[in-house]
Amino acid sequence: MPPIIRMENLTKKFGNFIAVDHLNLEVEEGEILGLLGPNGAGKTTTILMIATVIRPTEGTAYVGGYDVRKNPDKVRELLGVAFQEPKMLWVSTPWDIVNWHAKVCGLPTEERKRRVKEIMEALDMWNFRHRSVHALSGGMRKRVEIAKVLIQRPKIAIVDEPTSQIDIVGKHKIWRMLRELCNQGTTIILATNELYEADVLSDRVAIMHRGKLLVCDTPKKLKDSIVGGDVVEIQFETDPSPKMVEALNQFKEVVKIMKTKSSTLRLYLNKVEEIVPKIMGMLMKEGASVSSIHMSEPSLDDVFAHYTGLTLEEAQKEGG
Amino acid sequence: MRKVFLVVERDVRLFFQYKAMVIMRAIWFVSQIAFFGLIASRMVVIADYFRYYVGGLATMTLYSAAVFIGFDIYEEAEHGVFEYLLSLPVTRRELVLGRSIGGGLRAFIYVGALICISLYVIGVANPLNFILALFSLFLFAFGVSGMSITLAVAIKSSDRFDILMGVLDALMVRLSTAMYPLNIVKEANPFYGWIANFNPLTYASDLFRWGAGVEAVLTFENPLLPLLGIVLFFAFFTFVGIVLYDKRIEGGGWQ
Repeated sequence: MPPIIRMENLTKKFGNFIAVDHLNLEVEEGEILGLLGPNGAGKTTTILMIATVIRPTEGTAYVGGYDVRKNPDKVRELLGVAFQEPKMLWVSTPWDIVNWHAKVCGLPTEERKRRVKEIMEALDMWNFRHRSVHALSGGMRKRVEIAKVLIQRPKIAIVDEPTSQIDIVGKHKIWRMLRELCNQGTTIILATNELYEADVLSDRVAIMHRGKLLVCDTPKKLKDSIVGGDVVEIQFETDPSPKMVEALNQFKEVVKIMKTKSSTLRLYLNKVEEIVPKIMGMLMKEGASVSSIHMSEPSLDDVFAHYTGLTLEEAQKEGG
Repeated sequence: MRKVFLVVERDVRLFFQYKAMVIMRAIWFVSQIAFFGLIASRMVVIADYFRYYVGGLATMTLYSAAVFIGFDIYEEAEHGVFEYLLSLPVTRRELVLGRSIGGGLRAFIYVGALICISLYVIGVANPLNFILALFSLFLFAFGVSGMSITLAVAIKSSDRFDILMGVLDALMVRLSTAMYPLNIVKEANPFYGWIANFNPLTYASDLFRWGAGVEAVLTFENPLLPLLGIVLFFAFFTFVGIVLYDKRIEGGGWQ
């Protein structure tokens, strides 16, 4: 099946500043693609180009087979966008905003009324539906923004930092609803700078930095791509013998072993979930007394640091 | 056309959500009639100036209400709503046509109530004439709304737009027959009179007065001339405006 979105050398320059630099990326139908990167990475500019709000300086993108440059009207018929900053006038009410959005997107009357109520209730907005936007909290405004896409159920949903300013319970609720939306057949592009959000929600993650695509793959493959990225810390009851250390070194997945305390070994290795049972088997066979074992996988932050030399937080500061 | 109507609906609803502005303008309108119109008419030697002024005031108010759509565009740009509108499954032409009609229609609905007050003051001599006059005011409101959108998109700076609209308002109103007859303008300065001859506000004011039967000091003997002027004004800013708007905003040219 051809990709539902294909970006070919997609570039946007603002004067001398290159916001998006020759981006080549494909989005498969029915997946959630996370666009992960710090502020200023070019995620929002990419989204605006796909949504035909701004025109690429160079290159193009094909959305559902339509060129964003040549057929912007056709492209917009496939899209629903939840922007990073809630896009609404302060005199409007949540009801007016989402109801009008649903009308413009062509939802039949009965279905519109049902979905508007259903989504507003699910997002705990129903009781606030007739308040003007200026009386709502930042989190509530953000819910109004995401509600538009959830009600619309477009073929392709673009959600830019959908849970920023939203409390943890609300975040989980929105993640679940986005996953349901995807299960109903919507392809989702999720732009975020939240590592956990990208990790739990995305089928694939595209990491961007300074307008460029660094890497794109499933979260698991990205983490596995860091050689020695997994860490296992084994605490023995007595000092491990050199023979034991040597035996651990024999596993091809083990990249490095460090003795952190007198009775503790820290192993840097790959594919932790596959290798740990083998290590445990070997240790039991050798009669080693293990008092505790602690495993940790690399995070997407480690992946980001691996490719940029910066943590996401450092890059965030750098990007302003 | 369905989407055009939805854009119109949005703009009309939005206008009436600015309740304070709507109320203040209505108070201003009534004050102008009750105080300025009544008092100034005692100083002016023109026959029936009070009714003359009330007719002009209705078109001036229609003009300033229709211009408001341009300020909405800046408000929307500031809150990012413009980006949202541009991302919707609505063609740019549907969007601008809807906004132009919406801007004009909401001004017309709003001023409709004020026109009723004017009619109470002026009275209507010939209902058929008045229907034609209303129709021309309808087109005038769309034309002003289209002009405001075109200028807002072309200027790209809310401060400059604000100043320009202030200047334009002053010129449009002062160099028209909204407040004084054309022969008085010409007497003051023939050049001013020449400009007032081509001012759409002159056409709208005169047609409204003609429709309401205030015929004492009409600029044009034949009402078809100002009607033609208004149709041209409407056609230019609605249809040519659409093309300009389309070129300006497609793909982010408005930024």
